[in-house]
Formats: sequence, C-alpha cells, structure tokens
Amino acid sequence: MTRTLTLWKHGATTGLLGGLITVLLSLTGMVEAFSQRQIVTGILSMDQSLLAAAVVFMAYLAAKRTTGSRPLWVVINSLTCGFVTAAMLMLLLLVGDWIHLRAVFVNASPVLYELISFGHGFETAPLLFVAYPLCALFAGILYLLPGPVRKMFIVSLACILGAGVLQDMLRPTLTAWESLTDLAEWIFSANGLTGQGALALFILISAAVLFWSFRGKAVKTGYRNLSPAGQRGLKWTGIAVLLAVLLILPQILGLFLSEVLTIVGLYVLLGLGLNIVVGYAGLLDLGYVAFFAIGAYVTAILTSPELGFFNLSFWQALPFAILIGILFGVLLGIPVLKMRGDYLAIATLGFGEIIRILVLSDFLRPWLGGAQGIGKIPKASIAGFEFGTPQEIYYLILAGCFLVIFISLRLRDSRLGRAWKAMREDEDVAQAMGINLVATKLLAFGTGAAFSALSGAIFATKLTSVYPHSMNVMISINILCVIIVGGMGSIPGVIVGAAALVGLPELLREFAEYRLLVYGLALVVMMLVRPEGLWPEAVRRREFHEEELEENNNAAASAPASS
Amino acid sequence: MATILEAKKTTKRFGGLVAVDELSVEIKEKSIHSIIGPNGAGKTTFFNCVTGFYRPEEGQILLNSHSLVGLLPDQIVRLGIARTYQNIRLFPSLTAMENVLVGLHCHLKANYFGIVANLPSTRKEEKEATDEAKRLLRFVNLTGKGDLLAKNLPYGEQRRLEIARALATKPKLLLLDEPTAGMNPSETQTMMDFIRHLRDEVGITILLIEHQMRVVMGISETVTVLDYGKKIAEGTPEEIKQNPRVIEAYLGKGSAAETMGVAA
Repeated sequence: MTRTLTLWKHGATTGLLGGLITVLLSLTGMVEAFSQRQIVTGILSMDQSLLAAAVVFMAYLAAKRTTGSRPLWVVINSLTCGFVTAAMLMLLLLVGDWIHLRAVFVNASPVLYELISFGHGFETAPLLFVAYPLCALFAGILYLLPGPVRKMFIVSLACILGAGVLQDMLRPTLTAWESLTDLAEWIFSANGLTGQGALALFILISAAVLFWSFRGKAVKTGYRNLSPAGQRGLKWTGIAVLLAVLLILPQILGLFLSEVLTIVGLYVLLGLGLNIVVGYAGLLDLGYVAFFAIGAYVTAILTSPELGFFNLSFWQALPFAILIGILFGVLLGIPVLKMRGDYLAIATLGFGEIIRILVLSDFLRPWLGGAQGIGKIPKASIAGFEFGTPQEIYYLILAGCFLVIFISLRLRDSRLGRAWKAMREDEDVAQAMGINLVATKLLAFGTGAAFSALSGAIFATKLTSVYPHSMNVMISINILCVIIVGGMGSIPGVIVGAAALVGLPELLREFAEYRLLVYGLALVVMMLVRPEGLWPEAVRRREFHEEELEENNNAAASAPASS
Repeated sequence: MATILEAKKTTKRFGGLVAVDELSVEIKEKSIHSIIGPNGAGKTTFFNCVTGFYRPEEGQILLNSHSLVGLLPDQIVRLGIARTYQNIRLFPSLTAMENVLVGLHCHLKANYFGIVANLPSTRKEEKEATDEAKRLLRFVNLTGKGDLLAKNLPYGEQRRLEIARALATKPKLLLLDEPTAGMNPSETQTMMDFIRHLRDEVGITILLIEHQMRVVMGISETVTVLDYGKKIAEGTPEEIKQNPRVIEAYLGKGSAAETMGVAA
C-alpha cells in the first residue's frame, strides 16, 4: 500500500503543480490571448500548444523524479501527472459553471471555458482526460528514450513551435525573394504552418539533430586536429560569414524586423555597459538608465533646433554625449564608493530616479523640455548618406555594438578586467592585492556610463525625439534581467539575453501584456535550471593551451592532461 | 640583523574592548617569527593593523622605518607586505592562474588606453605576467592546475595557491595566518619545509600566526606570545617553552603551578 503511494506521489504532486500552472495561465488571460494564432493551421493553435507544453514539461519532471526510474513506474507517474492536471482544469470548468468567477478573474470568460474544453463546453470536456494524459504519456516516453532521440524530439518540436509562432515574420521574409515564394507558400499558410510544412520541418531538423548527435564528435575532433593555422583560418572564415550575414540582414528581414533588431542592438549596447559594472566589477547598479538618459538628452540639447542652443550635427554631439556620460558616471560613482551590495543598489536606484525627475521637472523645462521632451533631433548622416529608416540605423547600431564588444573583450582579458573580477569576488582581498579600489570602481562606472550614453545618443537620433517617460526604472531592470538571463560577465550572453528578453517580446505581440510575467518566470526558471545564464562565460584555457603548444613543439611523447 | 618591521606601542580598540594593547614587536630581517597566543589574543587583529585593514588608535608600525599607519591596504602591499588569511580567501570563481595574476596586479603598468589599443608594451607585459604566474604556480607545486577554478581545488592546494598569490606581489615580508590549519602531520611537515625554503632560498621574512606548537617550535627563531592583546613573553622557542606566564596563559593558573611543580 505504502509502496503504491510513493509510486504515485511524485506524479500527483507534480500534476497538482502543473494543474495550478495551467489554471493560472488560463486565468491571467494568456490562453485566450494566444488562441488567435495557429501553430499548424487547423491542427494546433497557440493556446493549445501553451497548455500542452506546460503539461509535457511537468510530466517530464514527474518522470524524472520517479524513484527507481523503472520504465513502468515512470509511465505511471507521468500519466498520473497528466490526469491530475486535466482534473484541475476540469475543476476550473465546474467552478466556473457554478460561480461567476469573472467578478474576480476578469479573464474567466465563456470563450476561455470553450477553449479549455475543446470548443463545446461540457460535451467535449471529457476529452481533457484523453488529451492531457496523452501529452503526459509522450513526456514519460520522451524521458525513457535514449539521449539523442530525446534531443531530436525536443529540438524539432521547439523549432516547429518557433516557426509557427513567428509565421508572420518568416513568411513575408521568404516571399520577398522571388524564387522562394513557392517554398514559403508550401510551408506557411495564412496564419501558421501548413501540415506538410510542419512535417517537413520536423524531418529536416530531426535529421540534423541526429546527424550532430552521432557525427558531431567526429567533426569536433576533426577541427581540433587541424593545424593552428587551419583552425585560425576556419575561425576567421566563420567571422567573415557572420559579418556578411549581419551586413545584409536588414535587407533580407525588411522594415519591421529591422526595427526589432535596432531595439535589440540598443539593449546590447546597454547590456554590455552594465555587464562591466555588474558582471565584471560586481557593483549592483539599478540606476543605470540615468546614463542612457544623459546620453540621449545631451544629444538632444546639442542638436535639436527646437531648443536652438547649439544646432550641432549628431557626430559633433556624440563625443560630448559620451564624455558627459562618463563624467556623470564618475560623479555618481564617488558618493557610493564605500557602499556594497544592497546599499549600493538602493543608492543607484535613487540616482536613476533623480535624473528622470530632473528631466521631467518644470523648473528645467526651458533647457530640457519637461514632460513634452525634445523633438526635431536631426538624423545622423555620413557624406550625404542619412541614417533615417530602421534599416539604415541598424548599421549605426551595428557599428556601435562592434566597437563596444571590441572594447569589452580587450578590457576583459586585461589587468583592469582581472582587477574588476577580483573586486567582485572579494573587495577586501582585492585591495590587499594592491588594487586601488577608488580608481578601479570609477573606471567601471565610467566605462559602463560611456556605453550607455552611446546607446542613448543613438536612441535620440533614431526616434528624433526624447521623452522623460522612456527613461524609467523599468529600463534599468530590463537590462539587468538581460545580463542575468544571458549570463553574468559573458559578452555573447548579453547578446543572447537581449535577443531573448527584448527581441522575442517585440515579435510576439501577444506576449506584450504579459512581458513582466514572462520576465519573472524566465528569471525564476533560470535561477532553478541554469543559474549561470544562457551563454555563460567560458573559463579561459590559457595554461593548458600553451603547454599543449609547447609540447607539440618539443614533440614530447607524453599526452597533455586534459580536463 | 636589521629590523624590517617594528611595532611601537600599537593599540587597537573595538569599543570598550582592547584587542591589541600597547604591543611592541620587532621583526628581524630574514627571520621566521611566530606570534602565538590563546584564541582572541589579538593575533589576527595585529595582522590587520599591519596590512592596513584596521587603523590602530595609538602607536606606530614601521616598515624599514617607514610608517604604515594610515596607509590603505593597496599602498601597504606595494611597500612589500603580503599576507594570507586564516580562513582561506581566494577569489573563488577565478581560475588559479587568474588568482596569481591578480597578485601581480601592482607590478603591471598598462593603462586604460594601452589596454584598449593593445599596445606592444601591454602585450609584452601580459606575456611576462603569464609566464611569471606559471612560474609561481610551479613553485607552489600547482603545475597544470592553473585553469581550474580556485573554489574547485582541494583544501591543501587552496592554501598553496593563496601563498602563490601573496608571493606574486613580490613581498619582503610575508604574513601567514595559520598556514597549517586543518592539515595532517605530513602536509604540515611539507608546509614547514616550504616556509623554511621561502626564507632560505627566496629571502623573504616570515611572520606567522600558528597554533600547532610543533610548527612554532620547529621553524621559528623568535616567538612572541600574546594574551588579551598584550605581549606576555618573547624569546627563542626554548625560552618560551619554559616561561611560566606562557604556560599560565595557555593552561590556566592552577595548571601552571602544577607544571611548575612537576618541573621543579
């Protein structure tokens, strides 16, 4: 008796949790908001995928937590999880039928009940007890499958989901190329993937994943066996290809996606700056938006004919924007030199608000424009070429990103970068190692402020106007989320984080309303599953690498130890 | 022998507690000098005063007759005093190599623009620093461990890495705070040999806090005994062993009388 109980326990508890998640997803209105979109037209809509994904995820957890992990027990556990989840949703339907839930939960509409119950209320509601356990069974079997096959299913299903969700971006992009129009029509329908398109994608991606699972190792060793010159050549070819892709990207993607890219790019600039302050130096700065605001406003004041002070061009104003940004970075850094951790966070949070309120104030209105902001900021131009449309501004931001990444890389591997990291790890000991804390902290604040001011200046010329409202504390929080999710102290992490947290919500308009919910969820899940971030900083392999080279040079017989 | 470090009537108070009370000590150049005393006697507080973590309220601390009081830790380490900590304080998420490179920080000169422009002088300096760090890792017998994170090293290796990091600052005087804490007899013996080697071959003056009497008596030339922040005895290990006040401080009054009785 007790044995059966322990056998069912994990399935039941995980199922309760899964039920709670699905009920919450429904009541927050996400399910209804997603119902307009199809993943695979006529077969799978986005709301169903959302619920199914939740069930599969929880059932997979249940399978993983099964004690003893005997196949039968695993299946029983995941099935239990599915049944419990279905029961919770059924309960929601019953309660909803009985009590007027809408008085409290605005989103508990009849439409929602129809969506949950597969279209026809209680007539089709029993289907819940078929569909959800089926999803759960799939998760259980997935857990039991060998690694490569499991990976194949997960990756290809995720890709189909992604392709379906991004249908209205991908389809116009493909149809823009004459020769690809037919292909686009074959894969995509008007509001999702076509059945054959989804199947083709599944087969294609599965094949790729399987190939990589079985042959990936051979490819990697092949690369490693290349001569250093060959490796370098391959690396530079890769970089050249990447560069070429980045250069033609806005032409392929079109207006809307280029606009999204510019927003992501601005966040990459901001993120790389905050990455130096928080990721390297460990100084938790929550008022980082202040320097963004300073960069934007200095550009606006110096260039806008609306105020008529200076009427400089963007390029003339840019150095001032960055220098004044650095100046403020250092000035705001001085009073917080002795603060650590929470205290520093609160003090800098205050700075961010002070700057925003100053900009908003009536007192400074003649100079800073007050609540109406400053308009008519000229576009940047080089030799007659004006950076006007998002597709053109993209290049401006790309250049900024390259510059900032370059500086970040150089600083990271230097004496200064080490001093920052040492300070992050243990401030007292860092000082006892001869690191001048004042200079090192101010350099971190100054560098971060410079990157942020650059982002702000480009932002000002991109919008041709600046408003106090775009400088709120949420931007600081967003940037912090970007570097936490991407991976603290990791440069590629910032880029991935910005793409995931800033780019995706721009693409998925349904998410816009739930942005904060998704941020919170992403942060919690990241902390639990992958605390080091999506793309953590790789530990540098300096010593081994050089010893390997030396040994190769000496043609020493003994193989180097590898970890 | 010349005096390298001299404390004159140094006093450090925490509120009403006098942690170090008018302590006067002279450390001879190229000696191994131990400070012992019961828990809470003010040994580590004295170390913190010397290295600039605390500022003593009264008295003087002189390094080669250059006053250290009021200097910051980073200025003091540049003058040639390095230390290790009682509870190891490495930079846990940096590699062993990076830990040592941080120790070399004060001997590197690259500035911000040199770094971003990657000037030849910066590159040369980095190369030399990397070589020096490797040499130091080899010196403390951590060859091949340079790429491991400091927190992933076993305890004994962490202790050695901390010493390598301290040595990277090129100190004249090295302060070791319980270097053999938590070590078994054979590890302790290795550490003792290593400390002696540092003094004999590298020529560094060693000031150490130690609890294991075997170590104290085995390697030090001079021993200073603290109790309640005051110096109660100083001398060679032999003299200290015989000193009734030391025995009293360690074992209590009654036992002191007893031991004396037995000795007599």
